[in-house]
Amino acid sequence: MRIEEPIPDRPHRPLPLLAAARPQDSVQDSLRLATHDLDRLQRLLSDATETLLGHFYGASSQLSQWSRLVATQPALPEHKLHQTLAHLAGAVTALQFQDMASQLIRHTHRRLQHCADQLADDGPARDAGRPGMPAAALPLRNPVAQDEMHAGSVELF
Amino acid sequence: MHSILAVDDSASMRQMVSFTLKNAGFHVVEAVDGQDAWEKAGLRDFSLVLTDQNMPRMDGISLTKKLRENPKFKSTPILILTTESGDQMKMAGRAAGATGWLVKPFDPAKLIEVIGKVIR
Repeated sequence: MRIEEPIPDRPHRPLPLLAAARPQDSVQDSLRLATHDLDRLQRLLSDATETLLGHFYGASSQLSQWSRLVATQPALPEHKLHQTLAHLAGAVTALQFQDMASQLIRHTHRRLQHCADQLADDGPARDAGRPGMPAAALPLRNPVAQDEMHAGSVELF
Repeated sequence: MHSILAVDDSASMRQMVSFTLKNAGFHVVEAVDGQDAWEKAGLRDFSLVLTDQNMPRMDGISLTKKLRENPKFKSTPILILTTESGDQMKMAGRAAGATGWLVKPFDPAKLIEVIGKVIR
């Protein structure tokens, strides 16, 4: 099972290989490297989730088989089975980390790209002694407020 | 058997939602975003729509508004399952016609309990 979470639309720019000539170039390079690292983190997260899901489905399948056996062999410790199922339910909640992490990464990605673009716009103006471009509005409202994987609230209207 | 339209652009979330709902005995149709859901909603009836908010092409609130304009979905429960927990966003969901607002991550037992309350 392969999980693909697309990276947000963004032109891929080559990372500079030479030492930066100006301070703002250095900041720009750092920001681009951070963006590159976030791309890598996204792939790592996808890979981790793929592995987790594989194990999760394996365990779930085994438990289903045991559950059917319990009906014919009451000696099997049924309460243990329920405990295990409760752990699996907890895993379903925890496994939702990828969605939240992906949204956070996309958010940080946009913010970093904005910084890099801003520096790129300001650089030539600063070199020429002119005021830089006014900062473009950051349309950035972080969609993820949570910082842990506890189940969220429920509100019926 | 009740049929549920589960909408989320995250593949892992769609799998977790489907796994939970199927284990509880529901039939599940998955959609990758609001536009995909809107197209699938036209093809058959659903007992409930469970949708994410932030998605490409069409978000959950826009999907809710569009579904509510369709007489077929006028009284179908629509639950928004999202990371968004701000009051302003919740009010927008309510104004669009959503039945409820669930903040991610969801607890499987709680999700099934809420669906049981609102489904017909």
